[in-house]
Amino acid sequence: MECVVQGIIETQHVEALEILLQGLCGVHRERLRIHELCLKSGPNLGLVASEVRLLCDLEQPEPTWTVRHIGGAMRGAGAEQISVLVRTLTESKVSKNALRLFYSLGYKLDHELLRVGFAFHFQRGAQITVTVSSVNKMLKLHATDEAVPVTPGIQLVEVTAPASSENYTEVVAAVSSFCEYLAPLLHLSKPGVTTGVVPTAAAAAASLMSDGGGTTL
Amino acid sequence: MAAVEGAATGVQSQQHQPPARAVERLNSAVQQQLNLDSIKTRATSLFKAISRILEEFDAISRANAVPKWQDVMSQFSMVNMELFNIVEDIKNVSKAFVVHPRNVNAENATILPVMLSSKLLPEMEIDDNTKREQLLQGMQNLPVSAQIEKLKARIDMIGAACESAEKVIADTRKAYFGTRQGPTILPTIDKVQAAKIQEQENLLRSAVNHGEGLRISGDQRQITSTLPVHLVDILAANDGPQNYSDTSGMYLKNTPPLSSTSNNSQGNLLQASGAQLLGRSAASPSGATVSNSFDNTTASPLQYANSPRSGASMMNTPSPQQQSLQQLQQQQQQQRQKMMQIPQHQQLLAQQQFRQSSMNMGQNQLPQLHDLQGQGQQKFQQMHGQQHMQFSQPLTAQHRQLSSGAMHVNQNQMNQGNQLSRQINQFSSPANNAMFNSAQTTPSQISNMAMMSSQSVFPRMQVGMSGGNRNLPSQNLSDQMFNMGAANSGGMMPLQQQQHSSQGAFGNMQQSGQNLQPNMVQMQNTAQNHPNFQQSRPQNQQ
Repeated sequence: MECVVQGIIETQHVEALEILLQGLCGVHRERLRIHELCLKSGPNLGLVASEVRLLCDLEQPEPTWTVRHIGGAMRGAGAEQISVLVRTLTESKVSKNALRLFYSLGYKLDHELLRVGFAFHFQRGAQITVTVSSVNKMLKLHATDEAVPVTPGIQLVEVTAPASSENYTEVVAAVSSFCEYLAPLLHLSKPGVTTGVVPTAAAAAASLMSDGGGTTL
Repeated sequence: MAAVEGAATGVQSQQHQPPARAVERLNSAVQQQLNLDSIKTRATSLFKAISRILEEFDAISRANAVPKWQDVMSQFSMVNMELFNIVEDIKNVSKAFVVHPRNVNAENATILPVMLSSKLLPEMEIDDNTKREQLLQGMQNLPVSAQIEKLKARIDMIGAACESAEKVIADTRKAYFGTRQGPTILPTIDKVQAAKIQEQENLLRSAVNHGEGLRISGDQRQITSTLPVHLVDILAANDGPQNYSDTSGMYLKNTPPLSSTSNNSQGNLLQASGAQLLGRSAASPSGATVSNSFDNTTASPLQYANSPRSGASMMNTPSPQQQSLQQLQQQQQQQRQKMMQIPQHQQLLAQQQFRQSSMNMGQNQLPQLHDLQGQGQQKFQQMHGQQHMQFSQPLTAQHRQLSSGAMHVNQNQMNQGNQLSRQINQFSSPANNAMFNSAQTTPSQISNMAMMSSQSVFPRMQVGMSGGNRNLPSQNLSDQMFNMGAANSGGMMPLQQQQHSSQGAFGNMQQSGQNLQPNMVQMQNTAQNHPNFQQSRPQNQQ
């Protein structure tokens, strides 16, 4: 299971966000370049079409592959009250012929995208990962070098933390409290819920980017 | 122990207080746990025992005699045990009531002196001394009260400095933000910009979460540029676009291995694209070659004993595979996917069936296709006149061309059933036997296909598919029919009728024979509009 929230930020403020995250997390950022292939199963594989994502990490010297299956989100009155989405997630590292395997199982490529950005991994009540990335699409199949952003002026911010059914409340609390620190720059919400940009983002970004200013004592 | 006794007596003495004062007793619950009287008795007896022992020691020391250590030790252990028992009893309720001595035992023997000492550790002592010297520099000769005064003055000065520093920080902060943002104006975003951002945000979120706007249409899904490094050895260069769930025809000029590798998956129920099968069977006769003549087809259909192609079980009722497939197919599935799967399996079937035929099954062999279509069309014309279905070659045409109008037409006519099987014998090709055999089961397969699509009005064609790839090939064909002539509802026979027996349903089929013609016309028209189709179709079908 994982807890996840998403938000958007204008590209011009990404640097300020990075500075803020650097200060909050205390770790260095890691560059992110992930080619994500979303495969959908064919009709011979069960009653319901299933979706599987293959992620290839292109930042590593040797591209590493991960398979991920995103399951249903937690439902119910309790789930509606919390501002974080809790959903089942199965993830595993796989060898690079996973794509062939899924194709031969009957999965088809539904869409693919390329995420370029950076990520912070740190521990703050829970193991939290914040990724800020520009989502790019490929006009030609698999042409990752010629990817263009889906929305050039806006980047996606995602905060995720793994959880289990026993401790998800603590993880939710940790993620929520962390998100409050980012409030001056962006609002985070469950995937699928639009937030818009934050009006104070420009001012907050400016103050983060400036080198102090103010009057000397 | 004295404390215990004291506490016990304390409680007891309070019990004897005059009634005017509140009598303090132990909590009734606690009283059950701890019998205070007995504790007192035990404590007093222990006290007496220890005093007796001390008197003995006294006597021994006065007499300067050597004490008998065994006796001493035994007495000591007895006393120790008794004390230990008392302490244990008290521990249950002793949270707030009593202070009791702690036994010195192995675990605290070494640390006890350190804990009890009031002298600082050497390091701490040194630190303490240095700090004190720093503090009292210049004041050590003065009397203590003067030193105190001076220290107080110092503290006050530091306090004042802190306060003024805080004030300055607060003032500066106000000034800083005040000048930047203005007095009480909250920053807002104007509506136009907000709307634009909202729109962009929706795009982005739907792209990330659902893949909207990222799907490429089938035409563009050809790998035309060089693959990135991480995909180069995974997707072989000649694999071609595989398995994209898109409706565009599978005719890709630059994907010849699609058909070649499909030879390898005889009897394989999985829908594997040709490219995927590249590495699977070593027995591929055609290997990576482009041309896929039937002469090159691989092992016999009898490879799989259960396969309907083996001939023996041709006339059986639909196998469980088919039935389970029927269930699968009854769901709403994208026609595109069906379209996708069909060409591959059609290839498989056709190749397997007609392996001895001289006809080429190469999908992308345009000249071959041309011939095939020519043949198909000839047959078609014959059939059309006679309302007979002739399987073999028209079927191959059907298998190969996804969007061939001839295929559709042939399929329609093939529904006329048993007559077809008779006619199969007319063909000299030995492959016709396989065709015949497979054809018997096709109605069920086709009807299975039909059940999948909710739009099916067309009679399902009997595509000569072998059992190995039963349902899949015809799916696309029938779906194509739907795509082509979906509007046509000219009384096509229901599918279920076809399902049960290959012979029984044919009476129905004949009724629809008349309807086929207008349908065929429609399909032909739509088929001709297909871009790929136009490449290979020589002329009008009729």
